[in-house]
Amino acid sequence: MPLTLIRSYADQTILRLKEFLLVMQEFLLFSVRAFTTIPKIKRYWRDFLDQAAICGAESIPIVLVSSISIGSLLAIEVGNLLEDFGAKTMLGRSTSISVLRELGPLLMGLMLSARYGSRNGAELGAMQISEQIDALRAFGTDPVAKLVMPRLMAALVMFFPLTALADFSGLQAAGLLSEHYHHIDPGIFWNSVYPRLTPKDFVASFLKAPVFAIIITLVSSFNGFLARGGTAGVGRSTIKGIVVSSGLVLIANFYVSKLVLENMR
Amino acid sequence: MIELRNVTLKYGEKLVLDKVSLAVQDNTIKAVLGPSGVGKSTILKLMLGLIKPNSGQVFVDGLDITSMKEADLYPIRRKMGIVFQGNALFDSMTISQNLSFFLRENLRLPEDEIGRRVAEQIRFAGLEGYEDQLPESLSGGMRKRVAIGRALIFNPKMILFDEPTAGLDPVSSKKILNLIASLKKSNDLGAAFVTHIIDDVFAIADHVAVLYQGKIIFDGETEKLHESDHPFIRSILSDKILEL
Repeated sequence: MPLTLIRSYADQTILRLKEFLLVMQEFLLFSVRAFTTIPKIKRYWRDFLDQAAICGAESIPIVLVSSISIGSLLAIEVGNLLEDFGAKTMLGRSTSISVLRELGPLLMGLMLSARYGSRNGAELGAMQISEQIDALRAFGTDPVAKLVMPRLMAALVMFFPLTALADFSGLQAAGLLSEHYHHIDPGIFWNSVYPRLTPKDFVASFLKAPVFAIIITLVSSFNGFLARGGTAGVGRSTIKGIVVSSGLVLIANFYVSKLVLENMR
Repeated sequence: MIELRNVTLKYGEKLVLDKVSLAVQDNTIKAVLGPSGVGKSTILKLMLGLIKPNSGQVFVDGLDITSMKEADLYPIRRKMGIVFQGNALFDSMTISQNLSFFLRENLRLPEDEIGRRVAEQIRFAGLEGYEDQLPESLSGGMRKRVAIGRALIFNPKMILFDEPTAGLDPVSSKKILNLIASLKKSNDLGAAFVTHIIDDVFAIADHVAVLYQGKIIFDGETEKLHESDHPFIRSILSDKILEL
């Protein structure tokens, strides 16, 4: 009996592993397809502009809210800590490193994973369930070129200005809080920020934009394409897209930072 | 002509089609009759190359499309039109945009030619005055007629219908069946439709294939269905209920 149970468990594990590898293979082919259709961008220019508005202009409020709140919190908490060491004048430097290199782009990535990723997953999932994606294929249109590539290009383009906005607004919020909460002169704050910024800070920040754009768009779109089983299936695929892309954003954030810090002076 | 030859298809461990062979001739109406969930829609998707069989072959006009690449399949698919069960109209587009979308996508036609073809399908579907409406504002029968118009937009040789009357009221169902029958006469088109409604088969089909437990248990002229002594066919002919 225990032997049968072990064998059944092993069979199930092997089956799940096979399914996982098949999905990974499909995802790889899907991603390659999305990139190889980029030359068709001229044909899908309007779709690109629509998606650019959705992931760019319409995402500004959520990016502002997240970056301002994290900049403000950092200024308060780090300022309190530095005060114990009599080093409040270093507040600008410490918050700028945190906001620029890590928290600005990371929070933006997570927010866009929730906002842009969920929209992609739900919209494409609903199209899959209602056979609209099959209809595209049946009438001779490549659904990856029409639906995924413009989303990918829009994210690749728009994540750069959104990263800049997240960094800028986070730092401005930190500057304001340092003045009004910790009573640090703005000149002292900004003097500890600007002269000490290095190219490494900006590379760490802006290198994350395209990485997050690729992760969020491809993972959420792929999950939308995999949606099965009615409206509940759309919900499941959307959630899976957000969870997986958010996890990958966190992992990618760590590795991009590590790569830049280890390879740039 | 579309032909499935010894096609076997599995979804995971479940055997959906077991060595199925059937053909749809040009300029005839062929029905595939079977209970819900037996794999009838799958047959249409195989005919279009939207899914690949585990074994067997699919031929379109004598050309084996079984292992063709997606990009090579696009021109072949345009020889056929398909009307999906839920119509699969693009819900963010108006009726005329739904009809013109694939023309703009796939053919380099001048705008006046696109407008002419769209107007032709609007007239055919009897939807004059609804050109700028979204699909959600139309009735089920009207949406079906738009989907048929879209399927005809490339002037195909064959049109495939997935449960053409499912969810429609009796009057709309009759209109849709008459429309399908008229396509053969006026446009010289072949048609294949899958259904679980036996009355639809007798109303318009020249030939019928009966799919049961993954196998074709009858394939022949519709009138000859009465001569079959298969227990399942006898039961559906007497009860006219396929939900087994």
